[in-house]
Formats: sequence, structure tokens, C-alpha cells
Amino acid sequence: MAVAAVHAGGIADHIHPEPQGFVRRYVFSLDHKIIGIQYIITAFVFFMLAGLLAEAIRTQLLNPGGGFVANGTYNEIYSIHGSTMVWLVTIPLLTGGFGNLVFPIMIGARDVAFPWLNMLSFWIFPVSGLMLFSSFLLGAPTAGWMEYPPVSLQGAAGTSMWCAAIFLVGVSSTMTGINFVVTILKMRAPGMTFTRMPLFVWGQFATAPLLMIATTALAAALAALFIERQFGVPFFDPAKGGSPVMWQHMFWFYSHPAVYIMILPAFGIISEVLPTFARKPIFGYKLIAFSSMSIALLGFMVWAHHMFTSGLAPFLQLPFMILTYVIGVPTGIKIFSWTATLFRGKIHYTTAMLFAIGFIALFTIGGITGIFLAAIPFDLHVHGTYFIVAHLHYVLVGGSLMGIFAGMYYWFPKMSGRLLNETLGKLHFWLFFIGFNLTFLPMHWLGMEGMPREVATYDPQFTFWNRFESFASYLMTFAILIFFFNAIWSIRNGKRAGANPWGARTLEWQIPSPPNYYNFKHVPTVYGLPYDFSTPLPYKGLDEELTDSPPVPAGAH
Amino acid sequence: MSVASLARGAHGELDQLYIETRELRLQGFLLFLVSDCVLFSSFIFAYLYLRNSGQGWPPPGIQRLDVAFAAWNSVVLFGSGATMHYALENFKHGKWMAYMWFLLATIVLGAGFLGGQAYEYNHLIYAEHVTWWGSGIFGASFFTLTGMHGMHVFFGVCYLTVLVLQSSAGVYTRGKYFGITAGTLYWHFVDVIWVVLFSIFYLL
Repeated sequence: MAVAAVHAGGIADHIHPEPQGFVRRYVFSLDHKIIGIQYIITAFVFFMLAGLLAEAIRTQLLNPGGGFVANGTYNEIYSIHGSTMVWLVTIPLLTGGFGNLVFPIMIGARDVAFPWLNMLSFWIFPVSGLMLFSSFLLGAPTAGWMEYPPVSLQGAAGTSMWCAAIFLVGVSSTMTGINFVVTILKMRAPGMTFTRMPLFVWGQFATAPLLMIATTALAAALAALFIERQFGVPFFDPAKGGSPVMWQHMFWFYSHPAVYIMILPAFGIISEVLPTFARKPIFGYKLIAFSSMSIALLGFMVWAHHMFTSGLAPFLQLPFMILTYVIGVPTGIKIFSWTATLFRGKIHYTTAMLFAIGFIALFTIGGITGIFLAAIPFDLHVHGTYFIVAHLHYVLVGGSLMGIFAGMYYWFPKMSGRLLNETLGKLHFWLFFIGFNLTFLPMHWLGMEGMPREVATYDPQFTFWNRFESFASYLMTFAILIFFFNAIWSIRNGKRAGANPWGARTLEWQIPSPPNYYNFKHVPTVYGLPYDFSTPLPYKGLDEELTDSPPVPAGAH
Repeated sequence: MSVASLARGAHGELDQLYIETRELRLQGFLLFLVSDCVLFSSFIFAYLYLRNSGQGWPPPGIQRLDVAFAAWNSVVLFGSGATMHYALENFKHGKWMAYMWFLLATIVLGAGFLGGQAYEYNHLIYAEHVTWWGSGIFGASFFTLTGMHGMHVFFGVCYLTVLVLQSSAGVYTRGKYFGITAGTLYWHFVDVIWVVLFSIFYLL
């Protein structure tokens, strides 16, 4: 009982004093669940704004000559659209949002390791978002979310504001990463060994080091760009001996791992939703966990595959191509494991499950076009075309966003105590799924035919498919409006969920919805994996969770 | 016997909660140093990239940096690393006066290093009219990296001064001294970064 002895009365048993007053409870809260919900709400506000920008892009592209906005404004719009979706929507939702909301409960902890740091991470995030959008007032950046010099060196003052905003949100991510690593390493409940952790926790455990290490590398690049713009210190300006290609190295050394920051937690969500609604143990638990870790590691070794057209030395091109192919192996392992989980399962087609199955389909398409793009000859052909736009949206919308929606439908009852409406949910799924494919599938062939991305006008021969995509994108937006309506309506009028509406087996479903601020009355002891649906629950010490008894404070045994 | 109960035996006044909190903080602080290290690494990458992309190094019209002066300055900084180590050791063994003297010596040596760096900057900018931050890739990489390191030393000196004040006020006890451990780790980290910077700017 040495392990249990260490934990008894220690940090795992520690209960923070219950916060008093509205501000302490809901604004400057130290509770990881409240902070998670704050992240989710804020990120969805930014999601709406960036979605409006996306529709402005599609409306401009209704006609070959544009005409909806000025060409310069169009450049600002797609730059802020991309930056917002990556840094203010997807990353905060998946790490700060869902991560905070459930993973500490999943490992049987009463909070994260540093609650105060957690609160600070959150409050930096909306501030940096406001800074990013305020760059419109100064002349927003015009070089896309990648901000390649020399264009980003020539942009208006808003580009410096962009640097500062992304730097700040990066600081927030770094602190979240440190917090999560320490929490997972040190605060697991007794018996919660690494090979008993739910796969969502493995997803966060693979992501947190990326947040911690890669984001700092981006911070360096942003700082260099900022001081070059503001003080004329030459790093990237070729006229003064600097190198624009160096920015691409520094940027992609962060931004390729960032792709995995945006997908590994979504992998985790899918790995929770699939076994729950197939009523079957997850297939290949260890393989899924370790492939997440190997994807995180390999993610640091492939950044230059974004730069095949940037004059990379030929002896470097081949290793980057091969290593990119290698990432296909752990990713394929996951896809096959999920499919095998579904095989002969007793599948419940809830909305969360539909999004999870949709995720597998769309992410596979995005992943396979990624394998195409790793091939240098093909990449040289489609680099900078709409093929890239199609690929990245299949991964980030078809992958990350579908995962986010699956997580919303799955964990909304745990957040609010009420279920989202399933009829509206299914309408949301089908309209979104169809609208998404009609919008982005034709972009593959537009790109193959050479339509360049990030340009306000296009050749008249591409008119038909562009109009088609624009109308389909309105369908997608309509589907998302249904989701927002559903969420707001269900908070007050949804069906009461009870503790465990899905019959799921991870720890967060064994306590009331929404949970008490201390999570567990007694910190449970864990005896096995949460996925064996035919056996009794592998936890002890949860008997009083759904009763009225008081929590057991620190030091009591 | 668990680790925790051993620790409780050694220091009777410690509670379980503190032991675990200290472990968390130590781990969190080490991870902070890792991410800080990545910040330096990125700028070091930028420096090496620029160095190898131009027409030889140093660029035409710029003298090699003066190794001798920087070497003496490095000795000052490494000396401060040694005094910081002894400060922590003395604190652990309850020798309070020795701890205070070593801590003050560290502050003096750290400030001395900063003074040396200021002298060197002044020399490069005004006396030799060699370069300044914005005048070329040499100035950009040299002043950004050494300046970043200098800022770290400066923050370290400020923190150590706070440690002196806190210690005089009796904030730290034999059982609870994480603030001193963190200061020591940070100071050694800054030393190690300087080893790398000295090698790539003055020796390479």
C-alpha cells in the first residue's frame, strides 16, 4: 500500500476551499472545469468571427473579378481567418477547453497542478484575441497565417500587432502545456498507471510537450519578426543580408508540430467516443497511445516538407520526404484501430458517434492527400494552389473540428447537466458533413488545374466550381448556426442528463453532472482500463459520489 | 517505506501536502527552463543560419570579437555559479550566515558580469564604431542573443536580491526553501547558456 500511503492526505486528496461570490466562481475561477468552459465559450466566439471572415472570402470568390471587398482587404481577411482558426479556435478548444474540462477528472485528480497558472493562461487568451482583431484598425497582416517575409516586413502596423498577439497566445499555450505535463505525471489517482489512462489523457499527454517546446520556437520567430519590423534589425530582409527562408524554417519548426497540437487531442476525443457508442473495448489501446507519442516526436522532424519550393538543398529534401511518409504509419495504425473498434460493435448512432465516424472518413481523406503532398514531384506541381487549401481544411475541419463537435455533443451533459437536442444535432451533422464536402472536395481539382490560393480574383474558367463551393459553404454556415441555437437552447431546455447518460466508463461519468468543485468526494483507486464493457467498473471509492454526503478533506483517512 | 514518510521523519515540521507541492513546483520549473532553452536554441539556430548564408564570418568590415575580455567576464559569471551552489548547500546545512554571504557574492559577481557586458557593448558601438543592433546581421544576431542572455542575468540578479530580503524576513526555513532551489537552478541555467553563447560567438 506504499502508493496509497503517499497519496493519503497529500496533494491528490487536497481540497481547495470552495470559492465564494460570482467573480471568484465564474470569472477569475481557479476550478479547471470552469476554466475549461470559459475557454470553450471564448473560442466559439472567435470561431463565429473567423467563420464570418470565411464567408466573406467565399462571397468574394462568387465572381472571377471579386468585387465584394477590395483586393487588399481580401488579403487581410484570409490572413486573420487563418490565424484566428488556428490559434484562437482549434488549439484553445482542444487543449485549454476540452483538456481542462475533463482530463483532470479522467485521471482522478481534484484539479490541475497549478490552478493559478491555469487561470492566467486563460485570461491571456481573450486579450490576445482582441489584439489580433484590433490589427484590422492598424492595417491587418496580408501574408496569410504564415506571414512569410518579405511581404510581412512591408505590411502595415497591424502585422506587428499580429506578432504581439500570437506571441501572447503562445505564452498562454506554453503555460498550459507545462501545467498539463506536471498534472499527468504527478497527480494521477492511486492505481492510475500510464497504461490505464484513458486515451483522451494520452492525447493531452502527447500534445502538452508540443505546446511547451514548439510554441516557444514560434515565439522566437515572432520576436525576431517584431524587432525587425519595429527596429530595423535585419533577420529576414535579404537587402540587409538576412534570409526570408530562415523565417520559413523557424515558422514551420513550430507550425508543423502545431498541426499535431490540433489533431492529437481530437484523436483522443474520438478514442473515447467510439468505444462508448460501439459498446466494445477500444482495439489496440497501447498502439493508439504509443502512436500518439511517436506522431508527436516525428512531428519535429518533418517541418521542411512545407518548403520544397523554397530552394531547400537537394540532400535535405529526400529525408524530409521519407520522414513525412513515416508519419503515415502511426496515423494508419490509429485509423485501423478505430475501424476495428467499430467492427461488430453494437453501434448507437448518437450525434457524437456520427461526428466521430465522420471524423474517420474525412480525416482519412485529409491524411491521404497529405501523403500525396509529401511526394516532392507532386508537391512542386500543387504547391500554393487550392489543393493545399483542400488538404488543410480536410485535416483541420474534417479532422479537428469534427472531433471538437463530437466532444461537444459527448461532454455537453457533463458541462451543463443537460443533453443537447439530438434531432437538431443530427440535422447539424448531416448539413455540415454534406456542406463541407461540397465546399472542399472540388478544391482538389481546382488546385490540380492550377488555381492559386490567397488571391482575390481568379481565371474565369474556374467560375463554376467556385460558385458551387460558395453556395455549399453557406449550407455549412447554416449547419453551424443550428449548432449554436441548439447549444443555447439546450442549456435551459435540454433533457436532464443525469450522471452518466451514455453509459460511459471513464471517471468523469461516475460523478454528478455538472461535477462538484472538488470533483471527487474520495479520490478513487483504479484497477484497470476503462474500456472493458463486459466487466464491472474498475474503480473503488466512488460509492458516495452520487449521494449527499460531504467531501473528505485533506488529511482525513 | 515511502519517500514521503522518510521525508517526514527527517523534518518533523513538514506536512505531506508541502512535500508534494514542492515536487510539482520543481517539475514545473524545470519544464519552464526547457521551454526557455528552446527560445535560446531558436535564436542560436538563426545566428548559425545567417552566419553560414553570407560571405564568410565575421562579415566584411567587422573585426573578430575580443576573446580575452569576454573570457575574463565569463570567469566572473562562472564564479557566481560556484558561489550560488555554495549558498544553497550552506542553507541546506543550516549555516545561515555563510548562506547570506555566498548569496551576496553571487549578486555582486552577476552585477559585475552585467557591467562587463555593458563595457563591451559600449566598446563595440562607440569606440570601434563596429556595429549596432540594426546595422547588419552580425549586430542583429550578436546583440539579440547576448542581450537576451543579459536580460536573463539581470532578472536573476533582481530575483536573488528579493531572495536576500525574503531570507532576512525569515520566509525560508530548513524544510521549506523552494524559492532558493528555483533561484539556484535558474542561475545555473543562465551559466550553461553562456557557455554555449561564448563558444559560438567568441571561439567559433
